[in-house]
Amino acid sequence: MSSMYFSVGPQHPGSGHFRMKITLQGDIILNAEPDPGFVHRSVEKIAETREYLQNVPLIERQCLSDVSSVTLAYAMGIEELLGIEVPPRAQYIRVIMCELSRIMSHLYWLAILGIFVGHSTMFMWGFGDRDILITETAEKIAGARVSYSYIIPGGVRYDLPDGIKEHTMKTLDYFQGRLKEYDAIFFSNPIFKRRTKGVGVLSRSEAIRLGVTGPTLRGSGVRGDIRKDAPYAAYDELDFEIPVYSEGDSYSRSLVRFREMKISSSIIRQAFENLPEGDFKVKTRKKVPEGEVFSRVEAARGELACYLISDGTRKPYRLKMSTPSFRNLPGFSLMKGSMLADMPPIYMSLDYWPLETDR
Amino acid sequence: MSAVGNAFVGRLRSLVEKIVNVNPIRYLVNWSKLYSLWPVHLTTACCSVEFGAANCPRFDIGRMGVAAFFGSLRQCDLIIIEGTVTKKMAKRVKKIYSQMPSPRYVIAMGACAISGGLFYNSYNIIKGVDKILPVDVYVPGCPPRPEALAHAVLLLQDKIRKGRVNITKGE
Repeated sequence: MSSMYFSVGPQHPGSGHFRMKITLQGDIILNAEPDPGFVHRSVEKIAETREYLQNVPLIERQCLSDVSSVTLAYAMGIEELLGIEVPPRAQYIRVIMCELSRIMSHLYWLAILGIFVGHSTMFMWGFGDRDILITETAEKIAGARVSYSYIIPGGVRYDLPDGIKEHTMKTLDYFQGRLKEYDAIFFSNPIFKRRTKGVGVLSRSEAIRLGVTGPTLRGSGVRGDIRKDAPYAAYDELDFEIPVYSEGDSYSRSLVRFREMKISSSIIRQAFENLPEGDFKVKTRKKVPEGEVFSRVEAARGELACYLISDGTRKPYRLKMSTPSFRNLPGFSLMKGSMLADMPPIYMSLDYWPLETDR
Repeated sequence: MSAVGNAFVGRLRSLVEKIVNVNPIRYLVNWSKLYSLWPVHLTTACCSVEFGAANCPRFDIGRMGVAAFFGSLRQCDLIIIEGTVTKKMAKRVKKIYSQMPSPRYVIAMGACAISGGLFYNSYNIIKGVDKILPVDVYVPGCPPRPEALAHAVLLLQDKIRKGRVNITKGE
């Protein structure tokens, strides 16, 4: 039988700013080759021309659905070079914002996964709850819907507003109920299970060989999470677990993210309960001393690392970001040998974000 | 088609163009275009997060007559440029625009689509999408709020009602 070649994207309901070159034989995918680079905006090069504080809004544009973790990695690097201690209150507020970001990112993913497998209700619920519950809470804290440059070197920009604890607790209580409804209507749905169980299986050894990260890695039975492995901010003082599933298929990767939303809510509750009093920011110098630093955090999609070289001036000499989506890019080889109809669940179960890859 | 047939179609077309330009009929035609704007699903950069939110329950620009974006390219008449257009994407944007039937409208969303925005000194972007496409409405912001996008749709409808859009003929 002769094979057929076609490309999916960049104008395609599911592709976004991304293209896949697919070779098809009958209904079986022979080869799936990703073609990134549609949104390469040279963030790393521009960062060399701006001051350290000016770079915060710049680098958060590379992942607009999960902004807190990106800026946190950058801020941690600068703090290490400056040799300053961030006050404990700022550390706790950072944890709150990072977990809110994680829920925001996972809800975005859940909504798109819903429409990919033909479940419009999940699409509407995911986006609606994201806007009404989580984005609004973040807006009350940081002052913007998605692109709040809230975490800066030395702490956070503002203190928490009055009454935010009660508001967040009420929101999370309601969100817990919604998570149960998601489980009933979507994750326990036999059609969704049939579409994702046993589809795109990534074995434990293969996951380690490809170097994937985040929920994709934890869905294959590897317990890898920077929040536990190398704790930062206030994560070592909080009690939480890391969900791990060993099947390695699209369903287990989805379940990891679903359970992470629940765990993130509990982390936010604990952070509010244990929130210490004190400063939310310390003064920093504009000139950063010479040196090299490597900092990493666990973003919503996986491990995000930031490598910074300073030459003692107001601007960084070199800024290199290693982003989780880029590291999950080899995961597209999972599509080889599967059916064409299995392509959307596999694509979405990797939670690929093209902006983060191209930078 | 024969030469006679060609001549007949040409005459018919010029007749239709004349009729459409008569005042009450032109008003009717413009009115019928207003509430059936179908956007292309083309995401060029990070404003897509707010574009997605604008289409969903809380903001829901669908109630203004912007239909959900699952139609084919040949049925679309609105293209919303969501953010930065890189050099690699610019070729595709032009191609997609040329495949859409006329009349077609362009909304430039976000600071990057207007003038390059935060990435003004990057080596790989087009500074303003109006260098490659005729833009009807600009939406400032980085990213603009979904309400701003809804307002842009209302402005575009106002422009169509008054017949003040950039008319570019399809090939």
